[in-house]
Amino acid sequence: MKKTILALAMMSAANSYAAVAEDSKIFTPYFDMTLMEAAYLPSKGNIFSGGNINTQVGLLSKITKKDSLFGLYSFNYNGPAFQPQDTKQFTDRDMSHGFNFEYRRSLGEKFRVRPGVSFVTNYARSGANEAWQNGLYNMNSKGGQLAADYSFDFERNGFLTATYIMRKVEFPNYTDLLREFKNADNTAETSGGLQDQLLTQFSLRPNWNGFFAGYTYTQQVYKNQMVVDAHSGVYGNTKQKDKTTTIDGGFRQRLWIFELSPMLSYSAHRSNQNFLRYKSALGGDITRMTEGSNDITMVPKNYDYNEASLIVPVDLNVTGKWAIGGALNVTRRVYTDRGARDVDNNYTLSKQKNLMSTLTGSIRKRMNDVATVRLFYSIVVASSNNKFEKYMPSNYTGNSVGVAYQLSY
Amino acid sequence: MKKLTIALAVLMSLNGSSFAAIDWESKGMQMVGEIVANPSAFFYDFQQDLEGTTPLPPGKTFSVQTGLFPTLLPMSYLNLSGKYRLHGEGRLAPGVPQLDLIGGYCDMYAARLVARNSDSIDSAKLNGYYLGAILSSSVSPKIRTFWGYKRSVLGAKFEFTPGNELDLLGTKVGNVDTGFKDDFLMAGIETPKGINKFWSMQLNYGVRTQTFSTKLSWYGPHFELGLNIYPEGVLVFHPVWNFHVLF
Repeated sequence: MKKTILALAMMSAANSYAAVAEDSKIFTPYFDMTLMEAAYLPSKGNIFSGGNINTQVGLLSKITKKDSLFGLYSFNYNGPAFQPQDTKQFTDRDMSHGFNFEYRRSLGEKFRVRPGVSFVTNYARSGANEAWQNGLYNMNSKGGQLAADYSFDFERNGFLTATYIMRKVEFPNYTDLLREFKNADNTAETSGGLQDQLLTQFSLRPNWNGFFAGYTYTQQVYKNQMVVDAHSGVYGNTKQKDKTTTIDGGFRQRLWIFELSPMLSYSAHRSNQNFLRYKSALGGDITRMTEGSNDITMVPKNYDYNEASLIVPVDLNVTGKWAIGGALNVTRRVYTDRGARDVDNNYTLSKQKNLMSTLTGSIRKRMNDVATVRLFYSIVVASSNNKFEKYMPSNYTGNSVGVAYQLSY
Repeated sequence: MKKLTIALAVLMSLNGSSFAAIDWESKGMQMVGEIVANPSAFFYDFQQDLEGTTPLPPGKTFSVQTGLFPTLLPMSYLNLSGKYRLHGEGRLAPGVPQLDLIGGYCDMYAARLVARNSDSIDSAKLNGYYLGAILSSSVSPKIRTFWGYKRSVLGAKFEFTPGNELDLLGTKVGNVDTGFKDDFLMAGIETPKGINKFWSMQLNYGVRTQTFSTKLSWYGPHFELGLNIYPEGVLVFHPVWNFHVLF
């Protein structure tokens, strides 16, 4: 879920560049629709289907030579799919509506400021039999942004963007079931609102001649969620606070008949939250993870991890219409303190490491100036030294085959 | 290109053999379970297949349409749809979008047939209608975007003969009057594929039930070929074939 919020926040920041091209027209529409549907066959479990829909509709209105307004509506649907370990179930699906409004003011030739507001509603459910409105992780977010662009090379599209985002994030349906069970008289006040948070994000992104890089710092301050004390194992008086630092870089280039767009990113997630693992509620004393696994084990800094990911998509333009594509996607997550668990749910002394690699082969047809269709086949290999897989698979392989349409104007 | 397709197919089949066989029986059971849990939603997807939700081509005033597959055959939906252009793009004033009214009616003949030949079902009706409007505006000589609204209603009514009532956990149910209705917002984009031939892609979103679908359509003077995708439906892909006459 944290990843979803981060992705949504980053998406809204990224959207800001979407319709940068401004010409002499008073109104410039922006339309981008991507549709993907695929069949998934995992090594554990039965075949399933899932898809993604991403629609963005925007309008840029030029009020004066220096002032313009940009409105963008985004619809996103992520259906069942293979997921990186420790994130979501294969059957989870979510859907979001996002509204962004931005005022753009040019300051001289090189500078531009872009204050804006954003509203997002996200629905999440674990299967088609649930109602969207009742999802435990349904989320509403609202907030503002202030962005500034500095152009340093007009010929080669060189510019630097600094963005500050603030979002009030609420999970209206979220509740702590264990607390409700333990304290049935007093549910709403102590069990609800535990995921509510204030998210702030600062990013700095240079672009030049198809090359791009970025530094992003995100802070999530929880409104009600307290931290479990690492010694006593009970909730203390400190509120949860998460910080994520990400650096990324890549380029989009055409070399002869090759289209390359590799990207490398590295992020460090740190939280002051700890985790008290109950293997059995009947267990005796709390032991720390470093002292060996027990029925009740305290795992300090359970959620801290470093993650690196590499994406290398390559398209080979065989003709003007047809292209053969290949893509490699590798994500490696290493937890700084969380131990890997054996098949019996006991912590081992080695730290948990997850690796997920996806290799994709595809055929792309350019239908016309604005539309493409892609047939693809992917193989996913997920491996981890975490062998406790009763609820979420950590080690699996999977095949998927699907079709994707994109229409962009 | 053919060689590559073959190579990819071989690779896929080889890879597939290393996996556990697909359990089609359990997949089928799961799908039947989903239909039983919400039968109206299942039939509603077919109603959306016959609905004409693309704008009239420039220069045309009205059209008549009927869905052939999978609506008339094999689902036995007798159906008729129409579109009427209130005004063309830029006719009233420069920049004013084209405005079309859309609507249609469908009736599932098989439901009536079942009632006629069944001793336990007295009457069965499965019918629906839709009404709406589409605004379309050219953003370049080759691209038209369109925006619309439709109200789509499906009614399902079954009456059981006395003594043959449905037994639901000990409660006798004499008749079932159910259905599905929603107000949809539509957004799409259209681009020509030849003389009088178009390709379009659109998103339909029901604001009450969060039902959504995407439609990919290829259409010419008489036929529309479509691929409708219902990501949360029982049958995700619906290949569609509709017949229309444009005036």
